Amino acid sequence: MTNTAIASSATARRGAPSRVISLLIICVLLAVLLVFFILPVVWLLLAPSKTADQMVHDSPLSFGSFGQIAAAWKHLFSFQNDALLGWLRNSAVYSGGSLILTLLTSVPAGYGLALTKFRGRKALLAITLVTMIMPSATLVLPVFLELNQFHLIGTVWSVILPFSFYPFGVYLVYIYFATSLPKEILQAARIDGASQWQIFTRIALPLAKPVVGLVAFFSFVGNWNNFFLPYLVLPNSDQFPVQVGLNQLLTSTPSFNPVAGAGLNITIPELALAIIVAILPVLVLFLFSQRTLVSGMLAGATKE
Amino acid sequence: MTVLDTRHTTVSPSRRGLTPRRGGGGGAAGYLFVAGYTILLLAFGVFPTGYSFYLALTNDQGQFTGLNQFVKVIQDYRFVPAFTNILVYLVMWLVLLVVLTVLVAVVLRSRMRPGLSALFRFLYYIPGALAGVASVLVWLFMLDPDVSPASWLLNSLGFHSFAAVLAPGNLPVIFVLIAFWTGAGGWMVVMYGALNNIPDEVLEAAKMDGAGPWKTAWHIQIPMIRQWIAYMTILAFAAGTQLFVEPQLLQTASLGRVSPTWSPNQLAYVFAFQQGDFNGAAAISVFLLALGLICAGLLVTRSNLFTLDEK
Amino acid sequence: MRSPGFLKSGTGRRTARNAAAVLSLCAVTALAGCASATSSPSSTSSGGGTAFKPVKQDNASQITVWTDSTRLPQVQAYQKANPGAKLNVVTYDGSADGSTYLQTKVQLFDRTGKGWPDVVFGSPTDVTWASQPTKPNAIPFAAPLDQNLVPQATLDNFAKGSLAPCQFNGHTYCVRNDIAQVVLWYNKSLMEKWHYQVPTTWEQYQALGLKVAKEHPGYLVGSVGDTNSQESYFWSSQCPAFQLTNPTTLRTNLQDPNCTRMSKLLDSLISAKAVSTQGFFSQGFAKNSGSKVLMANGPSWYGQYLFNTAFKTPAKQITAAAPLTWSGESTAATGNVGGGVWMVSSHSANLKAATDLTTWLTTSTANQSKAPTYPAYVPAAKAWLANPTNSSYFATDVSGVFQQAANEVWTGWSNTKFSDATAWSSVVLPALTSGKSLTATLPAWQSAIADEAKANGYAVTTK
Repeated sequence: MTNTAIASSATARRGAPSRVISLLIICVLLAVLLVFFILPVVWLLLAPSKTADQMVHDSPLSFGSFGQIAAAWKHLFSFQNDALLGWLRNSAVYSGGSLILTLLTSVPAGYGLALTKFRGRKALLAITLVTMIMPSATLVLPVFLELNQFHLIGTVWSVILPFSFYPFGVYLVYIYFATSLPKEILQAARIDGASQWQIFTRIALPLAKPVVGLVAFFSFVGNWNNFFLPYLVLPNSDQFPVQVGLNQLLTSTPSFNPVAGAGLNITIPELALAIIVAILPVLVLFLFSQRTLVSGMLAGATKE
Repeated sequence: MTVLDTRHTTVSPSRRGLTPRRGGGGGAAGYLFVAGYTILLLAFGVFPTGYSFYLALTNDQGQFTGLNQFVKVIQDYRFVPAFTNILVYLVMWLVLLVVLTVLVAVVLRSRMRPGLSALFRFLYYIPGALAGVASVLVWLFMLDPDVSPASWLLNSLGFHSFAAVLAPGNLPVIFVLIAFWTGAGGWMVVMYGALNNIPDEVLEAAKMDGAGPWKTAWHIQIPMIRQWIAYMTILAFAAGTQLFVEPQLLQTASLGRVSPTWSPNQLAYVFAFQQGDFNGAAAISVFLLALGLICAGLLVTRSNLFTLDEK
Repeated sequence: MRSPGFLKSGTGRRTARNAAAVLSLCAVTALAGCASATSSPSSTSSGGGTAFKPVKQDNASQITVWTDSTRLPQVQAYQKANPGAKLNVVTYDGSADGSTYLQTKVQLFDRTGKGWPDVVFGSPTDVTWASQPTKPNAIPFAAPLDQNLVPQATLDNFAKGSLAPCQFNGHTYCVRNDIAQVVLWYNKSLMEKWHYQVPTTWEQYQALGLKVAKEHPGYLVGSVGDTNSQESYFWSSQCPAFQLTNPTTLRTNLQDPNCTRMSKLLDSLISAKAVSTQGFFSQGFAKNSGSKVLMANGPSWYGQYLFNTAFKTPAKQITAAAPLTWSGESTAATGNVGGGVWMVSSHSANLKAATDLTTWLTTSTANQSKAPTYPAYVPAAKAWLANPTNSSYFATDVSGVFQQAANEVWTGWSNTKFSDATAWSSVVLPALTSGKSLTATLPAWQSAIADEAKANGYAVTTK
């Protein structure tokens, strides 16, 4: 299939042998990468249909039965009295809550940085850029101590508030407003006597839908997948988001923790099912977001 | 599949400058707009950074220690291995990422029908949804010859057990595989979009001059997306220095065959929570921070990537 | 409290050189008054003489219990038997395989000043830090149970030495849930079929292993690839790998004859392929060689967990023999692999309920007779052995062997502040997998232990 694909541009204008070789290289490269990217996904989707025994003995890419999926589902959800459901709910609360806060803070901030003038604007922009590329995990410890000072450890805020701080989102909005908002509209609005706030809510915000969607996507996906911060700041397992829950599930699997996990029904198929369930919201977003991603990332790296 | 069509959807900043329009903007309104974000920035960006430095320069009784904390952690027997590990990992990861994503993007852009190219991009991009813990769990199984669908490959490479796969020398490769699997597809899509932004006339002109597809890629397309490559490198680098989940989970899953202090972040974690030495942990964090900032700074200034303001 | 301006005093040239380096750095950076970067010693006279002062008690308050999933049914059984008890049960990894989850969380709670669980299941390693304050002026996490909480008569009934990991500064900070004395497991059906004698000494074990390798290739007499294999073999061999000569000095000497005799024995069996370097509990072992394990030197829980659950060996084939001895040595010594402890938090506002639960979990014969592992509490152990579900799987009665081995656990393998599994798993096992011999790996293992010990504040001696 790759052959026909490349044929479109294959009106050779150079020496035939080198042409063939380069075609061959391309085909092999694309095919190898395709297998590399897709094989684990296919395996993962097939895994819950088999028993732990079949996983080891059958061909890795065979399908077991639907009954087994149901059984794995039952085992998984009976783990610690529906713990998985609770983790999913927590993830939704943490990612959703911080998503709202992120949008509420970063959209006005990006707008303010792009279209208003105030002292310290440049400094704020510079600090935003620096924090954007700073390894945030190194700040988790001081953040923890700080949250402790405000008696927030053990509350949902200990996760939501740090998650809400999203300099990358601010930067995206800033770039968007600085580049894509037609000057004339703003000028006209000002002449009509609209206040700054009115301009923002009535003109800028409706135009900013694409970038808001973009910030929402990145923020949600990033927070849903975040492990380190909740792993550190949440003391109780019933407060875990699903990513930390997966870790707990892993340590309860007899194959990985023979001493502590013996007697539990959590084996490879259940674990695979848990992975699928845990990433489902993100996967759905991904299916519809490729275009958003491109425009967003490109906007982030813009320069002229 | 229309969703996958990424042509002409990108913001094209090149035509307009990043000129903030002044004049009507009142100062007070500006402060209100940025107030919420500024509070978060101070609370979770500026303050923790300052606090890290404070901790790294003091001891557990708050006494000023100069650089002693840094000396102490450097002399720790786990410091050099951890930083060596992360550097080896970063070099391998960044080289592979840059070479392959750019190459694949060029191929997908100029040598394939758009429909098929979209399908490929989509398939490469999907594993990105499994970032974090999920990706590590999946690769635990991919690398275990007993359940892996690629067991023939592992066996032919001489790995007959999961334990053999986890030999210390293989670990950076494993982490690169995981990172590449989840991250590269997204970047390929982005690079493709960047190549798409190059006006067709430019490519036509190259063709007229008799440049083949490889020559065009090397002399025209790649130089024109230089900034995006730098941008990708910075973000991938920043993420790479933070490696924590992958080795931590692998340590659990391999029943301890992977050192619990494989990466610097893990070492900081052990310092803080196992030895109760928050100051030492902060010193390691400051090293990581410095590493990240220096490299990012170099790239930013060298590639002229982030223009902070209007010209 | 150490006064500022002084470096931690030390002896030896290395310290002097470090001090010089530090001083010069101070000078270079022109900083006045550099204090020591070393954490202030926290264990000074803590708990020793001072009486334990509980927080304000509220006998009606709910208690939080952290347990591993294996012991969860027992906690639930307590709840059933005592409907009035208000329990909040949380499962976690139970500190298995050197996990530091509990320690991490307690560090955090010590800093937040709240959130501690009232009762936790943990590993003996956990007691080493739980009996010490995590920072100056903190109260150690574990409550001294011998101070008006658990009657001395109850404590006296635990198996000999089983409470040793709980004891610091003359106080008992935990009660032992189970012990995991090492015995020699073997497949009786196969041994009889092939007319082999069950070995009683290590020399016989080695000879039989080599014979098996020749006569029945593929069959195994042991594995060294698990994260706790060192406890099955080197502990049983009385190797001074983790020996506290006093509370702050660790002796680790792997060139001791007691260590090298074991490493050489294992090396000969490994190269004959009679002992596997792949762990019993590793992913593919059960599939590839689960049915080919003729003997396994390992803890008392191997019977149910390894042979029954993991290998699915049919009932009435497996049984255990007394720990192996070395010829010329009259008294046997054996190892111990795991065995959890229960601790009560010193911060608990309901010590009565917490202690009641802990006591019931460890000493109730009704509970422990159904426990998955061998109880440390002697009367409960008797009830456990009498329970047919614990013995019906085995080919012969194992109670005599278990009781004997429980009294033979060597006490020279100390409970240190760091897990004995880390160095073994991350240094020795990868080397074995790559084909190096065990004897050749001993120096690397020793230096890994020494490094870890120093990082945890021990003075290290290798003599």
